[in-house]
Amino acid sequence: MRALPGLLAARAPTPRLLLLLQCLLATARPSSADGSALDLPFTSLPLREEMMANNFSSESHNISLTEHSSMPVEKNITLERPSNVNLTCQFTTSGDLNAVNVTWKKDSEQLENNYLVSATGSTLYTQYRFTIINSKQMGSYSCFFREEKEQRGTFNFKVPELHGKNKPLISYVGDSTVLTCKCQNCFPLNWTWYSTNGSIKVPVGVQMNKYVINETYANETKLKITQLLEEDGGSYWCHALFQLGESEEHIELVVLSYLVPLKPFLAIVAEVVLLVATILLCEKYTQKKKKHSGGNFLFCFLYRKSDDSNGIENNVPRHRKNESLGQ
Amino acid sequence: MGGAVVDEGPTGVKAPDGGWGWAVLFGCFVITGFSYAFPKAVSVFFKELMREFGIGYSDTAWISSILLAMLYGTGPLCSVCVNRFGCRPVMLVGGLFASLGMVAASFCRSIIQVYLTTGVITGLGLALNFQPSLIMLNRYFSKRRPMANGLAAAGSPVFLCALSPLGQLLQDRYGWRGGFLILGGLLLNCCVCGALMRPLVAVAQPGSGPPRSSRRLLDLSVFRDRGFVLYAVAASVMVLGLFIPPVFVVSYAKDLGVPDTKAAFLLTVLGFIDIFARPAAGFVAGLGKVRPYSVYLFSFSMFFNGFADLAGSTAGDYGGLVVFCIFFGISYGMVGALQFEVLMAIVGTHKFSSAIGLVLLMEAVAVLIGPPSGGRLLDATHVYKYVFILAGAEVLTSSLILLLGNFFCIRKKPKEPQPEVAAAEEEKLHKPPADSGVDLREVEHFLKAEPEKNGEVIHTPETSV
Repeated sequence: MRALPGLLAARAPTPRLLLLLQCLLATARPSSADGSALDLPFTSLPLREEMMANNFSSESHNISLTEHSSMPVEKNITLERPSNVNLTCQFTTSGDLNAVNVTWKKDSEQLENNYLVSATGSTLYTQYRFTIINSKQMGSYSCFFREEKEQRGTFNFKVPELHGKNKPLISYVGDSTVLTCKCQNCFPLNWTWYSTNGSIKVPVGVQMNKYVINETYANETKLKITQLLEEDGGSYWCHALFQLGESEEHIELVVLSYLVPLKPFLAIVAEVVLLVATILLCEKYTQKKKKHSGGNFLFCFLYRKSDDSNGIENNVPRHRKNESLGQ
Repeated sequence: MGGAVVDEGPTGVKAPDGGWGWAVLFGCFVITGFSYAFPKAVSVFFKELMREFGIGYSDTAWISSILLAMLYGTGPLCSVCVNRFGCRPVMLVGGLFASLGMVAASFCRSIIQVYLTTGVITGLGLALNFQPSLIMLNRYFSKRRPMANGLAAAGSPVFLCALSPLGQLLQDRYGWRGGFLILGGLLLNCCVCGALMRPLVAVAQPGSGPPRSSRRLLDLSVFRDRGFVLYAVAASVMVLGLFIPPVFVVSYAKDLGVPDTKAAFLLTVLGFIDIFARPAAGFVAGLGKVRPYSVYLFSFSMFFNGFADLAGSTAGDYGGLVVFCIFFGISYGMVGALQFEVLMAIVGTHKFSSAIGLVLLMEAVAVLIGPPSGGRLLDATHVYKYVFILAGAEVLTSSLILLLGNFFCIRKKPKEPQPEVAAAEEEKLHKPPADSGVDLREVEHFLKAEPEKNGEVIHTPETSV
């Protein structure tokens, strides 16, 4: 049941009627001044039976807006299981509360009933209660406050997202690999693996011994692929099924042949062999040059030494000194 | 007889201090980089290995532990091989092993096979490369040895900065198998570095035969050198705490509430400062006035490191941790640059090949206990402060051992003020004359206590011409 907006839509009600309504509202105002716990001032509102009879958990979320809010306010909520949901929007303005038009929308569809509006001081409260049972009720719920400008608050309901792995998995032909999908704090009902054939997602069947799916814990799944071929490379998807929807993760598998790293390896080996050969050959060449050349006085000394029969070391300093002086 | 040793030709045992030594230095730089940065580079693949083999993080951490155990623990084995076959053949074989291990690992079907290939075989290969490269560096440099050590040690942070992103890139492009294969190829470059290690041809001393034959395969007589024993004990205690802060600083930052990227930046700061601290420390240690006291400089750098740890434990915010990383980086670089330089100065060229193997073996135990014990302490108390205090205490203790030990124990020897010369003297006195030829002792004495660095000529029977 709509309160003020309905009356406003009835086109310029008489000021007396408005005043009466405001008095009714004022008397029915909740005792708590902050307005965070919004008691229903409208006790005649019929509650949905599901809300009373089920044993789902309850979720409450709140968005605050003012007339000066420049951007729409959004709140992201992750939901795994069916719940009773209680959404509240509060709007603070200095202007006339009666002139504010309050609406709720799910995605872009206007919601007709089951939301409540009340006012305290200069703040307008609106509350929407509903139950989320399946994926149809998931989505974005928005509350709108229209004065001259429209202020909007959005609650986005999503199923838990899976951990994204950015880097591709690299494996080799003939090897085996394990693709893992993990959900941090959630427990999906079911996991499914898909591989892409072109652009079509094909479910991964457990064929022969090639694919083995291992689910030891409820929040993770492992797909083991053995005897990899190059065609096995590509995109793989793991789907997590919740009561309220599906979530998926993309894993890229790259299968290389052994030749791929072998090429840089062989290039390095060739470089090493070349360098070692060069160094050893240079050394041999330098040694040969030393043995045969007689230009340098030091080499000369060696030449002389081999001629010298006694080679007494004591003479050496004097010999060399003479040699150097002689040069 | 002694005068001839002083004025040997360029193909003699006298260190070139340049020339081909720069190529040797480059090779040492690359190999140091691979040896220290490789365990870290492999760790970027751990997540994929966990996924592939369905194992936990502690199982993959075993790979790093086995690598470190092989790098440090096979020290004496490497010493024996070098003394028997010479540096270059050992390094070429080591490079092949290291590469083969990674190539084999790329075909593994179980984590145990990865332990054996990446852990044992590659670890052994890297060890067979690392030790001989230091030995060759010691042979090629004498006057400029501290600088050479500092520059070679700078390979570690440079490669750390390069190999980890490269490992990540390889993993993204080729997966872990392809990544291991290509890393194996890169390790083959250690063979290139091995080829650079041209042996220094010793001029044959007439009447004494080839010097090599009288050298023992593993010279345990280093243990009679007090300086060496002190160094080995101090180094082992230091290694208990030295590697803890880099392992835990990022988690510490995250614990304080720092976002992930900012926390990772701390290690970048540390590494960057380390790159420049090492050559700088080498330069300082090479200055004429400082060189005789390099042991004290080393113990000061350990003290600085421990002090930085203790100060860092009080850090309460990101700024404090950045300051800690800067000072830790400086001290870490100093320690890294000086650790082998000081060992070379203490034991001398002749015994270095055996000494380094023994020191690395003693450090192996500490390196395997250190970071995991820090982890245990953290698990027990959940307070990062205590881990840093523990690390600081361990490093400070080692610094005090070295400082006080050298100050008191070595000085007690008759009259000589400089520690290295005193150790040389003592060593000469203890060594039985019939142990090796006279020439060898001269060679050793010359190389161990260069008179020019002490500023005076030591008059002993051997050096008086």
